[in-house]
Amino acid sequence: MKYSVIFLLEEAHEDFPHYVERIYELFFSRSDPFEILIIANGTGSFLKNIKTMFSNFNCVVKAFELSKKTSQAVCLKSILNECNGEIIVVLGSYQQITQDSFIQLLNSMDNETDIINPRRQNRLDPIFNQFQSLVFNALVRKITRTNIHDLSCTVRIFRRKVLGETELYGDMYRFLPILAVRKGFKSKEVKCENYQAKGKTGFYSIKEYTGRVIDIFSLYFSTRFSRKPLRFFSSIGLIFFLIGMVMICYIFAERYLKGYLIGNRPSLILAIFLMVIGIQSASVGLLGEIFAFTHGRQKKEYSIQKII
Amino acid sequence: MSVYLSIVVPLYNEEDSIEILLSNILKAGVNFDFEYEIILIDDGSTDNTWELIERLKEATPELKAIKLRQNCGQTAAMVAGFDHASGEIIVTMDGDLQNDPSDIPLLLEKIKEGYDIVSGWRKNRKDNFLRVFLSKIANNIISITTGVKLHDYGCSLKAYRAECIKTLNAYGEMHRFFPALASMTGARITEIPVMHHPRTYGKSKYGLNRIFKVFSDIFAMNLIIRFSSSALKGFALLALPFLLFFILFGILSSVAIIYDWTQGKANLFMIAAFLNLMALIHLIILGILGELIVSMSDLTHTQLPEITKKTIFSINDKEHNKDHTSATYITIID
Repeated sequence: MKYSVIFLLEEAHEDFPHYVERIYELFFSRSDPFEILIIANGTGSFLKNIKTMFSNFNCVVKAFELSKKTSQAVCLKSILNECNGEIIVVLGSYQQITQDSFIQLLNSMDNETDIINPRRQNRLDPIFNQFQSLVFNALVRKITRTNIHDLSCTVRIFRRKVLGETELYGDMYRFLPILAVRKGFKSKEVKCENYQAKGKTGFYSIKEYTGRVIDIFSLYFSTRFSRKPLRFFSSIGLIFFLIGMVMICYIFAERYLKGYLIGNRPSLILAIFLMVIGIQSASVGLLGEIFAFTHGRQKKEYSIQKII
Repeated sequence: MSVYLSIVVPLYNEEDSIEILLSNILKAGVNFDFEYEIILIDDGSTDNTWELIERLKEATPELKAIKLRQNCGQTAAMVAGFDHASGEIIVTMDGDLQNDPSDIPLLLEKIKEGYDIVSGWRKNRKDNFLRVFLSKIANNIISITTGVKLHDYGCSLKAYRAECIKTLNAYGEMHRFFPALASMTGARITEIPVMHHPRTYGKSKYGLNRIFKVFSDIFAMNLIIRFSSSALKGFALLALPFLLFFILFGILSSVAIIYDWTQGKANLFMIAAFLNLMALIHLIILGILGELIVSMSDLTHTQLPEITKKTIFSINDKEHNKDHTSATYITIID
């Protein structure tokens, strides 16, 4: 089985069955064997109602439903065992890129690449959304030092082992290309044309914004410090402690050499506070060390590409 | 012998109730049209519970018994039972005759309808007023904070699909929160009214100091549930009040400095601001540590969707159309 086409259904669009049909015809006209999986992330009984539309397909079609809306990462991991294909193609609930671009994406998956990142040109969503997307992607690029320009395209193509080996959890599916690159998988960015834009427009909720910022933050830590996390904590701890120490020395010097009363100085409080934070951070670093030793041992640091 | 139902009963010093309990279960079991087993766990009893069990075992082939070396707690005893249960459906019960085994078929019906966890609801509780009242408050709080609205979290009579409960890897005092824990990864949960008998033998093992423990467990459970998808976000929720207070006191102390309320000395607003900042930084650091741990761990809680996902249809799938009995977790609606 060459391709496993997964449809991640987040919202029930009326066009969805037709979209699946078009994709089916596209794959049918190619010579490689494929299968279609649909997973509904909490969309109620939408799938049951459209079951009949797929009965005349000539390939394996499986549809699953999660009763509660969970993150996309969890969805994908939950059907990983049901996929038999070597290359996984993940699509959304509506057609976001044109057919020709999609064919181009499929064809650009050669033996060297492990994951294809589409980059949408001529985007059709409102300017404000494009601007937000631009800022977000630029921030992520800066922090993770990768070269991925479009993280919110719903189409992703990657080899099966990418999903198996990256640590996907929470809202990290959006950052799958970055995690894959960090693991050493080869990625390629291909330009494609935007066909429809039916996503959410305008302002998102505060929770989503803070969520994104926190995601970037945790991405920063997992990309930079997953190999040596503890040095990070202990080093900030040490820095805080030293600054506090220096301040204390200075204040005490002022007290005894120049006679300034120090009981009420705000800098005394700040110095003590910095020393406490320093000790706390360093001890968290130690704790992390212990955890990495006891629990992290199974997680291998290397990622095998081939064994001969 | 492929067993369909496993009845798991943890016991602690129930020598007066055990014979009646077993005979009640067997009486109800006569009407079952499937194979079942009874698993009794002796959680370090100091009375004759185990001797009685050994005696009863000879007469009852369905009985399987586990003796724990010391009192490990109800959750640990239940987990021991789960690990040795071979049924597709597991029903847990109280060992003090408060639950009625004849309610079991009602639970099983709901499981057949497609639910993963069915909880019993003791509608007419026969306990004293204070206990019932406190229970109601606790149930309300748990329902609201975890999002799983059950009327009776304290009822031990519950039915689970075996995979759902086995993968939870419970510990501590989690047994009250099995529904809440399982729900976060998509298990379908429902409740049905069941009978409640008053406690006839022995004393209740729970006192009022349990309240504090239960509430702190609720808090911890909420954190764990939020953490398992993103540790930093879970901590962000906790950190929010500290952030707000930091901003508030920061503004107040800047105003105090500008207008020189305390003549250049440290003022209390500053101390308060620093303390809140300290708490904030602590929480951020712990959140990062949490992220690290989550990404390193096995994330078993995210395995549950694999089990609780429901197959809506599958076409042309030759592998799937094996000989499944109706009791498997995947119901093919084809």
